[in-house]
Amino acid sequence: MPLGGVIFLAVFIALFGALLIVLARAAGGGLKTGTGVKFDPYECGIPGQEKRDTKISVKFYLTAILFILFDIEIIFMYPWAITFRDFIFSGQGLVVGIAMLVFLLIFIFGLFWEIKSKALEWD
Amino acid sequence: MGQDIFEIVVNGLKLIVIFLLMVQAVPILVWVERRGSAFIQNRLGPNRVGPLGLLQLLADAVKFLTKEDMLPNQAVRFLFYAAPVTALIPGVIAYCAIPLGTPISIEAFEMFGRSWGPYVFPMQGFDIGVGIVFVLGVSSLAAYTILMAGWGSGNKFSLMGALRASAQMISYELALGLSIVGIIMLYGTFNLTEMINAQQGALTYSAFGHQLAIPALPNWGLFYQPLGFILFFAATFAEANRLPFDLAEGEAELVAGFHTEYGGFKMLMFFIGEYAHMMIACGLVVTFFFGGYLVPYMTPEQVQSWVATWASSPNAVSAWTSVIHLLSYFVKFAFFMWFFIWVRWTLPRFRYDQLMDLGWKTMLPWALANTILTALVVYFAHTIK
Amino acid sequence: MTADAFIFWFLSLITLGSALSVMLLANPVYSALSLVMTMVGISALFVTLGAYFIAGVQLIVYAGAVMVLFVMVLMLFDLRAELQAFSRGQISGALKLATVGALAGLIGGALLLSAGNVAEPSMAEAAKLPPDASKALGIVLFTRHIFGFEALGVLLLVIAIGTVALARAKGGTHAKH
Repeated sequence: MPLGGVIFLAVFIALFGALLIVLARAAGGGLKTGTGVKFDPYECGIPGQEKRDTKISVKFYLTAILFILFDIEIIFMYPWAITFRDFIFSGQGLVVGIAMLVFLLIFIFGLFWEIKSKALEWD
Repeated sequence: MGQDIFEIVVNGLKLIVIFLLMVQAVPILVWVERRGSAFIQNRLGPNRVGPLGLLQLLADAVKFLTKEDMLPNQAVRFLFYAAPVTALIPGVIAYCAIPLGTPISIEAFEMFGRSWGPYVFPMQGFDIGVGIVFVLGVSSLAAYTILMAGWGSGNKFSLMGALRASAQMISYELALGLSIVGIIMLYGTFNLTEMINAQQGALTYSAFGHQLAIPALPNWGLFYQPLGFILFFAATFAEANRLPFDLAEGEAELVAGFHTEYGGFKMLMFFIGEYAHMMIACGLVVTFFFGGYLVPYMTPEQVQSWVATWASSPNAVSAWTSVIHLLSYFVKFAFFMWFFIWVRWTLPRFRYDQLMDLGWKTMLPWALANTILTALVVYFAHTIK
Repeated sequence: MTADAFIFWFLSLITLGSALSVMLLANPVYSALSLVMTMVGISALFVTLGAYFIAGVQLIVYAGAVMVLFVMVLMLFDLRAELQAFSRGQISGALKLATVGALAGLIGGALLLSAGNVAEPSMAEAAKLPPDASKALGIVLFTRHIFGFEALGVLLLVIAIGTVALARAKGGTHAKH
């Protein structure tokens, strides 16, 4: 089963990476922590003004949720794509093709509605 | 992973070797990138340490190793350290699913007083049946390492960089996933090895009950899906966070993006992750559109019969055939890796709104058009006689 | 124990362990990352069943898309307020555990009650699956379930329109004036 290989590789890489970090820490003279200016979050020349509750544009949320929807639609095209030729050879190509065309038209309508409603504008 | 201990050990070693080769390739690629950029910009680049500056790789490694390990005081300790380690995992696992050569078959032999084999070892990390779906799924997990690093650093530049990077990755994943629907339709399979085998021989278009053979060209996916190739390749640049799409680390706006607070070996691991994504991109482009490991104009059987004229044992024939295919794969692969570097030092960076517009309003509609066009052509080519 | 059984138990342990930590960890970001781990584990369990395509879909849709949204949105909030509101205090902990226990009891009870009605799948039956099961899936989806497939397209369109109506900056229900 190929799964054994995947698990083995994932565990191996995780251990390898952890080992590298430990080695690099030892070679660099141990872990440095503190509260001085050196340990403040990076800022370009002015005193840092870090707040955890940085306000972020709602666009990121919108992008992510539209991505989920379109991703699901694309995933449903995959089983169609690998069987379409089989359907053509068995004479059902027209039915399945039209079914997918309807699905794609809904997809296209959705996409163009998103574009027209300016949901995808970044300013 | 295998039937007996020999097969398990060989398969495990194979995975480790692929992983270590990928890690080892990164310093070399960094050197190529620095020399290449110097060449493009009419400079010299690193040329002091060793011949052609090749030992610069070693000097850099020592420098990275001896950097002090510093934890910023607003960082979340677990995520700050877990992010670079996990950055390696999705890229390497996805690359291991790409076939690199013909399988090596080993005849039955005697060892330790018992008989072993016969064995067939595929020249790839592991053969997951639905290759392309697996690769897309695993490489989509890379967004988490970026988010972990960005949030775990406790720095607003890192957080903004991580959000931009992940929003960009998911936007282009749509165009990426849609641009290969056409190629899946043509080959009728998700399996990467079967896709490669479908590209053997000379280019032959068969439609309307006729066949048009063009012997001067190999039967590569590129000649069936030119638009799909352009869309796929462009989307992989955005997936790998490379210029012209490296908005996540736009120096002028975000210092260094999600890895602003990182240095030393942890930084290097993000580098390896980024280069692993370039390798996946190049491997997939070669597999879909350029015949994978196939030698142009020769089927694997022809290569094998040519090897059989000079190689002695059946094991050697199988091994040398695989090595020749591996070299063929590597030449194509290296060209596309160089293409990535070439583009990086030639094109300027997009603005973020231009990047999102390109992904959602240009590439996604074109990928849809490619899908519909391919479906229509496939349908009419097979039904009209 | 065979290698396959070991892989199954290892994956189950990881999946259930990360599912537990989704509830027991105080920090919502850690909870969300544990949920990612749970999704990856479920995907690997699909592979052990031979359902490769479903495993890939689980990875792409749940682990790669839905959870990216969760993690991204969680990182936008000021989490300190949530941490103090939910994670400290024994009552909330006891409530969590009670909810989990009730849900686990419900699912376990349903499984026990229906166990008699479901034929136990055997390895021989699993071996009868066609080698290229994703093709079989496509054929079933586009013959028997074609209406559901089209309905799904409409459903996704409605969700997209609803989301944009809620979240767009200009003219939406949460617009800035």
